[in-house]
Amino acid sequence: MRWFWIDRFTQFVSSQRATAVKCVSLGEDHLHDHMPGFPIMPSSLVTEGLAQAGGLLVSEHYGFQELVVLGKISRTRFYGHVRPGQILTYRIETDTLRDDGAAVTATAHVEDKLHAEAQLFFARIGEANQVSNDRQLFHKRDLLHWLSLVGVFEVGVHPDGSRLRLADYPLVDCSRADSSREGPSNDKEIPCAGAS
Amino acid sequence: MPSQEEIFEKVREALVDALGVDDDEVLSEATLQGDLDAESIDFLDIVFRLEKSFDIKIERGELFPEDILTDAEYVQEGKVNEAGIAKLKERMPFADLSKFEADPVVQNLGQQLTVQDMCRFVEHKLSTT
Amino acid sequence: MRFWLLDRICSYEPNTELTATKNVSLTEEYLADHFPAFPVLPGVFMLEAATQAGAWLVRLSEDFAHSVIVLQEAKGVKFADFVTPGNTLRMCMKQTKREGNLVHMRFRGEVDGRSCVNGKLVLECSNLVEDETVADRSAENALIDQLMVDAFRTQAGILTRGIQTRDIETIEAGQVNVTK
Repeated sequence: MRWFWIDRFTQFVSSQRATAVKCVSLGEDHLHDHMPGFPIMPSSLVTEGLAQAGGLLVSEHYGFQELVVLGKISRTRFYGHVRPGQILTYRIETDTLRDDGAAVTATAHVEDKLHAEAQLFFARIGEANQVSNDRQLFHKRDLLHWLSLVGVFEVGVHPDGSRLRLADYPLVDCSRADSSREGPSNDKEIPCAGAS
Repeated sequence: MPSQEEIFEKVREALVDALGVDDDEVLSEATLQGDLDAESIDFLDIVFRLEKSFDIKIERGELFPEDILTDAEYVQEGKVNEAGIAKLKERMPFADLSKFEADPVVQNLGQQLTVQDMCRFVEHKLSTT
Repeated sequence: MRFWLLDRICSYEPNTELTATKNVSLTEEYLADHFPAFPVLPGVFMLEAATQAGAWLVRLSEDFAHSVIVLQEAKGVKFADFVTPGNTLRMCMKQTKREGNLVHMRFRGEVDGRSCVNGKLVLECSNLVEDETVADRSAENALIDQLMVDAFRTQAGILTRGIQTRDIETIEAGQVNVTK
């Protein structure tokens, strides 16, 4: 099992809101155990999809300098079952964005039917107890890879409607002048052309 | 300025939502950490909700002055010293610290913080802004 | 991967509590993505482990009376510390209330006594055959219910296999009802 619980963003408005989709398929191994003979999308993984969409929205607010981690699920509530062949639409709204943490409200729908509601709370990794600032969750190119898989820069805009530009984030080193922020990976392999 | 009852109701709502407790568990004398199982991440969640609900701005460390409790100038051998107590009183005019003063072990401060203290904190914020 | 978020049920008391463990290993694929430079058990998998542990407590307590047991609500789920490869997460469930088909529980997950997660959840228990909106398919749904229950009985046998002598004594004393 890989750990990609949104397939694609369909809307991404910096610091405000995002919409993402998740297609549920019998090709996913876990559905054959959950439940045996009656495949339904696990509620925990719907929560993860909401947290991934929300976490990327919050991380963008912090300029993708670091990723945030899910610190707390204040509340999450589920209605009905989601079966293979259905498409979940996740909608995220930011509630509070602060230096020391962020909170979002999220919903999941199948067509126009509400499947889940959640209030999620994110901690900045620099604030978390075990990981220090010099220990990153992602190397920059892994993060960039994920962002491009889910289309953040294809649909992402600022609140004024202008496009999010990859070059505005410390994800690629086009000038190769700034090496101070580089993690252990070889970020120079990331191609810059066409990235923004 | 909302009445004390209105403040209590909104504080209760914030605590119910942040801590996942039932309405009837949030009594004014209930302690946040002892009775309602609040942990450090909950305090930030509570602060966010109070900010929204009362349209106020709560700075980091304002509700719970962690910075004082971790400052070697004010804490010796796990206890808050006199200077620290004075600093806490200055920073937390809303809280009744008399009980804490009797045994100022650092952990006690959070343990003794009550729902009532939280309401007084909000009152204090509303009256000074 | 298989969707087994527990390796062993250590002990349980019907309608009251259950303790189960989950070993975290770098062989689990998702750890390569979560996170590439810092593999840790995802928080929602701690929640899933609690959900599964809670579902086993219900199934073992009521002798598999319901086929579908799912998470209906979770509240105040706090992730206090990371669970890393090589760790054993010990999940302790305590049932606090049961109202019909809704079972309320508190849970706490620890690694070597270090608290990593705690929270509250509500599980919803049902059978497909009870769904009146598809009453015309009730015969078919009864079969699917049976299929699920059979699978869960087999899984329960695997998960409770290592249960300690002390618990077997209580089983014989009629306090614990292992799969028949």
